Amino acid sequence: MNILIKSATIIDSKSEFHNKTQDLLIENGKISKIATKIKNTNNYQEVKLDNLHISQGWFDSSVCFGEPGFEERETIKNGLKTAASAGFTAAALNANTYPVLDSNSDITFVNTKSHNNAVSLLPIGSLTLGGKGEDLAELYDMHSAGAVAFYDYKKPISNPNLMKIALQYASNFDGLVCSFPQESKISGHGVMNENITSTSLGLKGNPALAEELQVARDLFLLEYTGGKLHIPTISTATSVALIREAKKKKLDVTCSAAIHNLYFTDTVLKDFNTHFKVLPPLRTQEDVDALIEGIKDSTIDMVTSDHNPIDIEQKKIEFDHAEYGTIGLESAFGALQAIFSTKKTIDILTKGKTRFALEQAPINIGNKANITLFNPDTKYSFSQNNIVSKSKNAIFEGEALKGTVYGIISNNKVSLNK
Amino acid sequence: MSELSVNHLLGIKYLKEQDIQLIFETADHFKEVINRPIKKVPSLRDITIANLFFENSTRTKLSFELAEKRLSADVINFSSGQSSVKKGETLIDTVNNILSMKVDMVVMRHPNPGAGVFLSKHINASIINAGDGAHEHPTQALLDSYSIREKLGDVSGKKVVIVGDILHSRVALSNIFALQLQGAQVMVCGPKTLLPKHIGDLGVKVETNLRKALNWCDVANMLRVQNERMNISYFPSTREYTQQFGVNKELLDSLDKEITIMHPGPINRGVEITSDVADSKQSIILEQVQNGVAIRMAAIYLLASKIKQ
Repeated sequence: MNILIKSATIIDSKSEFHNKTQDLLIENGKISKIATKIKNTNNYQEVKLDNLHISQGWFDSSVCFGEPGFEERETIKNGLKTAASAGFTAAALNANTYPVLDSNSDITFVNTKSHNNAVSLLPIGSLTLGGKGEDLAELYDMHSAGAVAFYDYKKPISNPNLMKIALQYASNFDGLVCSFPQESKISGHGVMNENITSTSLGLKGNPALAEELQVARDLFLLEYTGGKLHIPTISTATSVALIREAKKKKLDVTCSAAIHNLYFTDTVLKDFNTHFKVLPPLRTQEDVDALIEGIKDSTIDMVTSDHNPIDIEQKKIEFDHAEYGTIGLESAFGALQAIFSTKKTIDILTKGKTRFALEQAPINIGNKANITLFNPDTKYSFSQNNIVSKSKNAIFEGEALKGTVYGIISNNKVSLNK
Repeated sequence: MSELSVNHLLGIKYLKEQDIQLIFETADHFKEVINRPIKKVPSLRDITIANLFFENSTRTKLSFELAEKRLSADVINFSSGQSSVKKGETLIDTVNNILSMKVDMVVMRHPNPGAGVFLSKHINASIINAGDGAHEHPTQALLDSYSIREKLGDVSGKKVVIVGDILHSRVALSNIFALQLQGAQVMVCGPKTLLPKHIGDLGVKVETNLRKALNWCDVANMLRVQNERMNISYFPSTREYTQQFGVNKELLDSLDKEITIMHPGPINRGVEITSDVADSKQSIILEQVQNGVAIRMAAIYLLASKIKQ
């Protein structure tokens, strides 16, 4: 793959060309030249786009693509297309499948399906067999097949001893264990944040306490066991504070927050719109502020779109019965830019890679081309037209977002949006 | 104001104070009608109403059906036990199937909060919420306020305590909204396990001592403990609940003033209320039931007149 990118403003603090507008020559998937003006002597494909900015390729640490088992929601093929169109060059795929990805051959299935694509799909294996939270799955065998982490998607490990053993066992091969932050006896049948809105809607509340108890438990366990822990999608102010303290103690813990948890509060649920039914639930403004502060001081290591396509049959029903989740890849950049500066947004979207066994590739001569192309300044209302996913459950529908994606260059391939 | 500000009666929180007054004034008229020898008016001869009960109900269903018949509406009844809901049909499909038979209005009881709100966005008919999970039961709150108005002359400025299982109660929530809208002061009283943690944020007083609550109030609305909605135990035993939150004659007589006792029914005699209290002159429990028909007639009549426009 050979390509010439014309006048792109490079946003990459790790690059010597940071904040400069340059031409880039990419040959055989590598950046061979960066200069103010590069002549297209070899008649390569030329990319010249309005207000073009480029950064290192973006990474999302939590996506679901349905397959196998929930192909009515999404397929790996279309999921990868969605990720590429949304600017992501890599995504970690949850074992939110049926059957769940809990063996070497399951991981190999995902790798085979996603092979030879511009987007690197990193499979996360289930921590326990069948995602049942009872017995450990063959973690080492999945690790050998390329699983980058182990996680029972959105299911808490209720048994603390099992979590203790998982952390100890995975540390043998430097494996990353993820723990969904929710104490299920306390969360009970809660379907939204426990607060005045849940009270006035008569909906059962899932209190912040349920999350914080589990975070505290897991941090105690980690301190005892050593090992590597990742806590996906924290949502409360106290969770941020707990993890901040743990990092001061030098525990090997990382965490993420979902973009919608940085953007919305639970008050949007006042008319029972199931698009806002997500897990962890939308919380309060105080929690949103604390999460944003946590991102600014790097207590929160990465944000995620927490992309989870759900078909309309599971959403256009009574609130109690509707599935949790929203698609998020397509709106991720525009929503983050509605909260943060472009520089901070790019910083956020390129963080967390090494935690999930991905190499960083700054935009410098000689490096592999792993690039996202975008225009940070467009303003638009996010609509169904912006959705590439098979399912249309978009929490950001109707929101005023900022910035559009042109495409990606990665894995020696170019994927540009029409 | 001669018409409601809403096209559905989904909850008190969607109403304005004038809506409540309009319903009360209309109910005054219908209350007079149902006490005549001929208890029926021809107002809704051209209206068909479907009573859709996706959850068990006896008294509310009877009250609605009677109200509809007193207004001369055509009535069809549906309970989920006899329906295709159990075969996996969605709520929207079930209701649209019934509506395609030219039904004008839906009265729905449903176990899930927000079911009426959800349905109102997807179907073309006027909806009355006859109770949706722990969300709202607007006609119950209207008849409760109407009964207070009848007994005490006005709701504004009155002190009302709602006692019992507030956590699982749509009646409590609708009553809080209705009473506040009319300028009453509201307190909730019960064991902490049955009070939503954030209930105070709705602007109600919170009390866990029944005697203090009764001494404060003009009216006590005693709720039933809804064992069927509890998947865990919120108190050790009914006996212990009654010791702390049951109203008996001795307690009532020891108060500084004579308060009015209400109960939305069905009563668990000897649990939240003793027989001598339920049957005393301080109790307006049976008046509530009678007012329920008049209130439901008023709500149906006012919504139907919007359909006719």
